[in-house]
Formats: sequence, structure tokens, C-alpha cells
Amino acid sequence: MIVKTLTVTNKLGVHARPAGMIVDITGPAKSDVSIIFDGSKANAKSILNVMMLAIPLGSEVKFEVDGEDEELVVQKLEQLFHDNFNEEAG
Amino acid sequence: MTTSTKKQAKGSSSSKTSKKPLRIVLVGVPASPGFAMGKVFPITNREISVVEETIPESRVTTEEQLFLKAVSKTAKEIGQIKEISETRTGVHDSLIFATHLMILQDPGLVNGVLEMVKKKHKTARWSVHVVLGNYIEKFEKINSPAMRDKAVDLRDLYNRLMTALDDSGPVLEDVALEQGVVLAAHEIMPSMLIAIKPGQVSALVMDTGGRTSHVAILARSLQIPAVSGLRNVAAQVNAGDTIIVDGTGGMVIVNPDEEDIRKFHERQEVFERQRRELFTMRRLEPMTRDGKYITLHANIELPSEASKVTDFGATGIGLYRSEFLFFQKDAPTESEQETAYEEILSTMSPCPVTIRTLDAGGDKLVAGLTAVNEANPFMGWRSIRVCLSREDIFCTQLRALLRANKSGNLRILLPMISGLNELRKAKAYIKRCADELKAEGVQVGNIKIGAMIEVPAAVMLVDLIAKEVDFFSIGTNDLIQFTLAVDRTNELITEMFQPHHPAILHMINRVVMAAHREGIPVAVCGEMSADPMSVLLLVGLGVDELSMTPWSVMATKKIIRSINYEDVRESALTVLQMDDSDNVNEYMHKKYAQTITDLGISSFVGQVDGK
Repeated sequence: MIVKTLTVTNKLGVHARPAGMIVDITGPAKSDVSIIFDGSKANAKSILNVMMLAIPLGSEVKFEVDGEDEELVVQKLEQLFHDNFNEEAG
Repeated sequence: MTTSTKKQAKGSSSSKTSKKPLRIVLVGVPASPGFAMGKVFPITNREISVVEETIPESRVTTEEQLFLKAVSKTAKEIGQIKEISETRTGVHDSLIFATHLMILQDPGLVNGVLEMVKKKHKTARWSVHVVLGNYIEKFEKINSPAMRDKAVDLRDLYNRLMTALDDSGPVLEDVALEQGVVLAAHEIMPSMLIAIKPGQVSALVMDTGGRTSHVAILARSLQIPAVSGLRNVAAQVNAGDTIIVDGTGGMVIVNPDEEDIRKFHERQEVFERQRRELFTMRRLEPMTRDGKYITLHANIELPSEASKVTDFGATGIGLYRSEFLFFQKDAPTESEQETAYEEILSTMSPCPVTIRTLDAGGDKLVAGLTAVNEANPFMGWRSIRVCLSREDIFCTQLRALLRANKSGNLRILLPMISGLNELRKAKAYIKRCADELKAEGVQVGNIKIGAMIEVPAAVMLVDLIAKEVDFFSIGTNDLIQFTLAVDRTNELITEMFQPHHPAILHMINRVVMAAHREGIPVAVCGEMSADPMSVLLLVGLGVDELSMTPWSVMATKKIIRSINYEDVRESALTVLQMDDSDNVNEYMHKKYAQTITDLGISSFVGQVDGK
């Protein structure tokens, strides 16, 4: 299992579109993926769960990825956060 | 707004036929002109009652299948609406639909429902109600306005799923089977209208809304007759009832008698004849008999409407409300906006196109952008104020506009300007974006920049503003609302919303004089520019351009071609001396009502008398 902490750097935070982009990665993955923010842990394959966390700009988000493609999933997530979800940086 | 309900039970005493359905006459607000008769297709807001029901083990598989089928049916339905919406609006990859589809496949939702069916032996309906209901409740409690808004999307999905689970409910495909139905609903959402195929719906009737609601504007641009503000029409009609809709007069008749139907055909015929006659106006110049040329432009809501505008005889776009792109999608990207703007600009070239920068707020909330729960939204964080404090959104729009302006016919209109500070800031942003684009090697065409005059402060400073812009556009709705301190959405004081109030006429006069001193034109783009008496006053006051819904252009052209500028000028100067709007209306009515009636455009401009 890989545990990875990423920082939300886009201005609007994880709203509907970024949540969708996260699920685009976690949904088809073979690994189990959990997202941990502000003391809550949720299934990161669920867009409803990810949206419900309402993660704002500047937050640290922890992902727990466990499965055969865990490295690839973490790499993609890292890239996504790094690119600010193709949105403007805050 | 007056709403009266007359119920008349038509006795069937002599005939042996079973009792006739009840004839009901309802009066509301004429939201979109035209006449139609058809079968009622009620759109219920789907207040679905669900009961907790335990099922035997043997039915578990059936219920599971039922749920999965409902999911795929709903996904198909959303896919269809997405497709239709894309061809209608030209906006692709709309976020709303992508999110809906993803939620529909959410493991938490799908597995939650399936588990409840399997382990707790509940029906699929009850399980959806509980599982999705929990999510809705949680979203409503989230401490982020943008996320709270998503609860609306979830409720929409809830309704769709419930309907799909209940085969008798109305779904999009059912509507498609029958042509020319009349949609009846408590409230009709703009998204619902966009999903309608041409010919599918002949008219709209709804309990809520007024003339300026978004649905009304959309109905007018799609040329579907509509009556709004009927208060309780949805509760009084049944599926399949025959209904007559008079969108010009704002009246509907449910289960009409023979006399009603005869009158309907008569009026519809007049309407069609007038429409045909008006089309002969298309190629004629909008010039008064003594040779003053008045520019007639069209207001549009959707980029795809641009291609129809010239057919109605307009020589440009006087107002494209860019908010519509933002209703479709939280934050359309620069290239998405560029595509939409370019469609309009290239279709209309070389005719001028006025695009108003994002005018969100007030009654036009954009998800995730505008503030909610303002005590006084019309005077709140809206319009240019949002743009100036959200540089990211404003600059994205400005860059898209400048990029799209390949043929140099763009006019950028800045809304809600209340002083020079705002105007200069906005102009600085435009200049900065243009410089950036030039540095990136993009060719930036000529643009004109105008200020919307709709805040009384701007009228007081109009001499100064005129020196710094290329044109004015008077937004009459807000100007009246702010000047007379009358909330136009408040039904208790609708009578006080008086476009011909002397204060308003003096303001327009002042704006025109200031503009002409600086040699710039003045346009009026509100509802006022399509009302016959107002047209006479505006022309008389020296307004250069009128912009209105496309189909009003021909009727207005006919009015302009029938008058002498010198005469309406004199009338305007006369009413400027008057002390209240009743006197103004009485004077204008006495002098012009007959002329206008004789023009034979009654179906298009509403009643001239009865002001």
C-alpha cells in the first residue's frame, strides 16, 4: 500500500469537476483507493464521497492506494494535483 | 399581474353523453406570443410518495434488476438531453451532464441501494429513497455554497431514478411520441426547454414566473407561445385535456367549448396572417417617413440563434447575454467561450455584435460563482462587481472575446457601471488582455467598448462616462427598478413599475444628450424597446438603436416606417413637461393608439389599449 499526501493548489478547491477527474483515475483502477481529509476517510472511487469532503484550496489530502496498479494510480493523482486540475492556481 | 379563475361547469343536462370535462379560464402573464391548441402534458415536479415495504426473498433479484435497469435508462436519458443540449447551445462537454452520469455510477450509491435490497429486503424504490435521500441531506449541510448547490443535481437525479423505476411516469421519450403537446407545470426549468425537440411542444403554461424570467426569454427565442404566472394551472389540468394557449394575451382555456375553439381559430389565423405580412418587412429599411434611420438589432440567448436574426430583418445583435454559457457549465474555458462567441461574430459579420460581459447575480445565479443568501441580491455582489473581484473569470471571458473577434465586429458591453472607477478598471483589464494576446502573437481586431446605463449614479455622471466609451446601452429594467425603488419581482407593487414615469424619461433624455454631444450612439435593449408606445417615445427622445427579441423586429420596423420623426420628437418634448406617468400614457394613447391598431400588428405587440 502506498500512502501519499497531496496539496490542493487550484483556486476553487475540489469542486465537482476536479472530483470527477479524481474518480476518472480511481474508478477504473484495480487498486482500492481511499481519500482522507480533515479526519474523514472515504472511498475515493465515489464522486459523491469526494465531493462531500468539500476540500478547499491549500488543504492537504491523503490517499491510501492498495493494489497491483498502486504506483500508476499514485503517479496519475500526483500529476493531476500538480496540474491544478487544469484550473487556475490559487 | 392579475390572476382570476373562472370556473364554469357546462351543464350536460339535455344530452345523454357522460359529463363534459370542466371548462376553466385562467389569466396570467403573456410570456411569449402566439396561439396554440393541444393536449396537456403535465410535468409534475414528481413529488413521489414512497412507502417502506418489505419484500420476500424471491423478489430480491427482480428488484435488483429493476434498479439496474432504471440506472441504465436514466443514463440513456441524460445522454440524450446532453446531445440535444449540445446541438442547441453549441456548448460541449457540459459539466452538469458529466457529473450526473458519474454520480449515477457511484459505487456508494449503486452498492448502497443493492445492499439494502438484498440484506434488508426493501423495494428498489424505498432503497433509492433512503440511500440517495441520505446523500441529499448530507450535501445540503455542507459548509460550502458550491457543494450545497449540488444537492439540486442530486434531487434531479432522484426524480429521474424514481420515474424510471415507475414506468408510468413521464420521461423524455414519452414526450417525443406525441407532437405538439402543451407542457403544463408548476415551474419549467430552462434545461427542460433546451431538451425539447422542434415541433414536440406547441406551448408552455406554468404557475410561476413573469415576462422577464429566463424561461420566458428562452420561449420567445424558440418561438413557443407561453403563459406564465398562472398560479395554479398545474393543479387544475389533467394529462390529455385540450387546452388553448394565448401567449399574446396571457390567457389559457382548459377544455374549451365550440365557441372558444372558433374564436381561437380566428385569432390564430389573424396571427399567422400578420406574421406573413410582417415578413415582407424584412428587406425594408427601418426609416421614419421623414427619413430618420433607426437601427434595429436583436437580443439573443443562444449562439445558434444568430443565423436566424437576419431573417427577421435585424442588422446586428444588440445584446447577447453571455450568462447563458455559464448556466450551462460552472466555468466555461477560454476556448469553449471563444467557440461560442466566434459562432455569433462570424455569422453576423460585418454587422455589429454586442456581447455583454458576465452579468451574474441578482436573479441570475451561477452555480459556484455568485453569492447566495444576500439580503438584497439586486444591489449585491453581482454583474461587473463579480467580474472585477474575480479577475480569473473576467480575464478568461475577455480573452475569449478578443480571440473570437476575427472580423472586427465586436462591441463589448460592460453592465452595472455605477461610476468611472469601475469603468476604468474594466477597460484596463480589456487592454491588458489585448496586450497579452498580442504578445502571444494573436491578431486582435478592432473593438468598441460600451457602458450599460442602468444605475441612476451612471445617469448623474453620464457626461463624464460618455467621454470614455464608444457607445451607451440603456438597460431599462434595472434603471426603472433602481430609480423608482420598485422591485420588479415583487407582486405587491407591480403597478408601480412604470417605464413612462417622468423621472425615467428625463434620464433617457439626459443620456441621449450627453452621448450625442460626444458623438456616440445610444441603444435601448430592455423590454421597453418592443412596446409600441415606448418605441415612439424612445425614437422621439433621440435613441439611435433599439434591440429586442428577433420576432419583434419586424413589428417595430412597421411602427417606425409609419411615423414622422418630427412628430414623435414633438410628442417626446411635450411629455417631458408632464408630471406623472398616467398623463404621459393618456397623451400617447390619445395621439397614437389608433395608428398602431391600424398597423395590424396586434398579435405581436400585445394590446395597445388597457394600459
